[in-house]
Amino acid sequence: MLPALVRKTWRDDRSSLIGWAVGVAAFTGIYTSFYSQFQGAAELKQDALPQGMLDFLGIADMLSPAGYLQATIFSLIGPLLVLMCAITLIARTIARPEEDGGMELMLANPLSRAAFAWQRVAAAGSALTAIAAIPWILLMIVVPWIGMDISLSRVAAASAGLVALVWCFAGIAFLVGAATGKRGAVLTITGGLAVATYMVNAIGGMLDGWHWVRWLSPFHYFIGTDPLHTGWHPVELLTLVLLGAATTTAGVILFDRRDIGV
Amino acid sequence: MLPWMPDRGDRDDVDMTSDIALLAEDLTKFYGQRRGVEGLDLEVRAGEVMGFLGPNGAGKTTTIRLLLDFLRPTRGNATVLGLDPRRDKAALHRQIGYLPGELMFPGRDKAESLLRFFAEARGGVAWSQVTDLAERLDLDLSRSVRTMSKGNKQKVGLVQAFMHQPALLILDEPTSGLDPLMQQEFLAMVRDASVAGQTIFMSSHVLAEVQQAADRVAIVRDGQLVAVERVESLGKRAVRAVEIHFDDPVEPSEFSVLPGVSDVVVSGPVLKCTIDGRMDPLIKAAARHEVVDMLSAEPDLEETFLSFYYHGEGAGDASRAGA
Repeated sequence: MLPALVRKTWRDDRSSLIGWAVGVAAFTGIYTSFYSQFQGAAELKQDALPQGMLDFLGIADMLSPAGYLQATIFSLIGPLLVLMCAITLIARTIARPEEDGGMELMLANPLSRAAFAWQRVAAAGSALTAIAAIPWILLMIVVPWIGMDISLSRVAAASAGLVALVWCFAGIAFLVGAATGKRGAVLTITGGLAVATYMVNAIGGMLDGWHWVRWLSPFHYFIGTDPLHTGWHPVELLTLVLLGAATTTAGVILFDRRDIGV
Repeated sequence: MLPWMPDRGDRDDVDMTSDIALLAEDLTKFYGQRRGVEGLDLEVRAGEVMGFLGPNGAGKTTTIRLLLDFLRPTRGNATVLGLDPRRDKAALHRQIGYLPGELMFPGRDKAESLLRFFAEARGGVAWSQVTDLAERLDLDLSRSVRTMSKGNKQKVGLVQAFMHQPALLILDEPTSGLDPLMQQEFLAMVRDASVAGQTIFMSSHVLAEVQQAADRVAIVRDGQLVAVERVESLGKRAVRAVEIHFDDPVEPSEFSVLPGVSDVVVSGPVLKCTIDGRMDPLIKAAARHEVVDMLSAEPDLEETFLSFYYHGEGAGDASRAGA
């Protein structure tokens, strides 16, 4: 039997979890199933956009299956969607209940501060992982079904990157929330960091002599390796996971050391 | 044990043999420059009902939150049921029932599922305990807690605090929002808990409720403990305002000489004064006239009782500076 607090956390987040799951599933399903109809239009769209814009949006080409998936699911809207979900859900683990006062009664149960923090992040993190894995699951079904000519292993590698990216930013969001107890700080700092590192990855690739800055961006470890063309990159994925684990652990330690609700 | 598994603190490691349920030594908390509580020395004996009195902002909630390890002391320390609030938090909170002053429940549960969560999180509380308490407080468990009135939310808070029959109940303003009938029921619950050997530490800014329930009271003002007294001696000290309407005009001098009577103001047949201690001399003196009406307010803690300590023996430079 799972700890009462984990189940309570899932129950309290239930409607929001269902909303995000439906949204991510609809987004993935609709975009991929439009693949065949989109082919003609893609040519026009690609011709209409300047190359610099295409590079910035992370769109190599929209005609090949890999290019299409990259452009629709993995370059901008997909990560944006799952990261928004991650940041808002993680803000609910500590920062929000601390601000509205609901955390006191959860903390007044027989468990240590660290156990409380781990249980909260385990509950939210597992739900989040399931939501971030929805594109993965759907693509494994839809790609063969509509006959997209791309290896499932490569699609899986990119999808796994999306999950790893979510873990990385969920860890950062948790660290901010656990350290400050402020929901606003979680949303602005983590959201700002996501936007900034996205830009760093996008622009860093376009400027000569600045390619190295991409190494500072989690997005580089997620999509900079071009998994849809090159397959699995375990070291890069592991980097994201370790970043998430390290920030989460740091968050638990800081939460254990500070005053609550001041 | 995995870190996210609940700590199943063994009941045996709670030191129940000690006579002291709660001990604060030089307990001090500053929020930056602002003082929460300073140099608090306090001892609550096991099985005792201790009232914790003071005006809003005096440091009552800060003290309570230090005892529960929500806050960490700037200086000094607290020992609760023989345990350290931080190091032994898991084992300790199994033995504590806590009612927050600003009650806010997590989630949008119905009262029943919320209380089932608390019952389970505390290692399995018999559900009959919950239903008994709910019945006693006339609380409908099928309603969503979010939509409840303040009084009903307070009842849910009381049920979760009492449900696991903790050795120590820490209650922050427990009667706020309760109607008079439920306040009486609450006081009965406190008496029952006390008979059962549970220790109760309850804060309040209302003297009357503490007088009915507590054995002793600790009084805080501006973050400092000004007195710890037995409740019996409180009533004698309490200053109350009295207003007597006579049939005919009376002379102020007749009343101002009485022991304990001060601030005498007479306008025609109406006498207003304050009285410190027993009412008897005033009643005897008034009885010599035709009395139409007599009003005597409950002693107001904020204005009379605390000001006695504040302006009297208990006042120090620090408390004056902080006022």
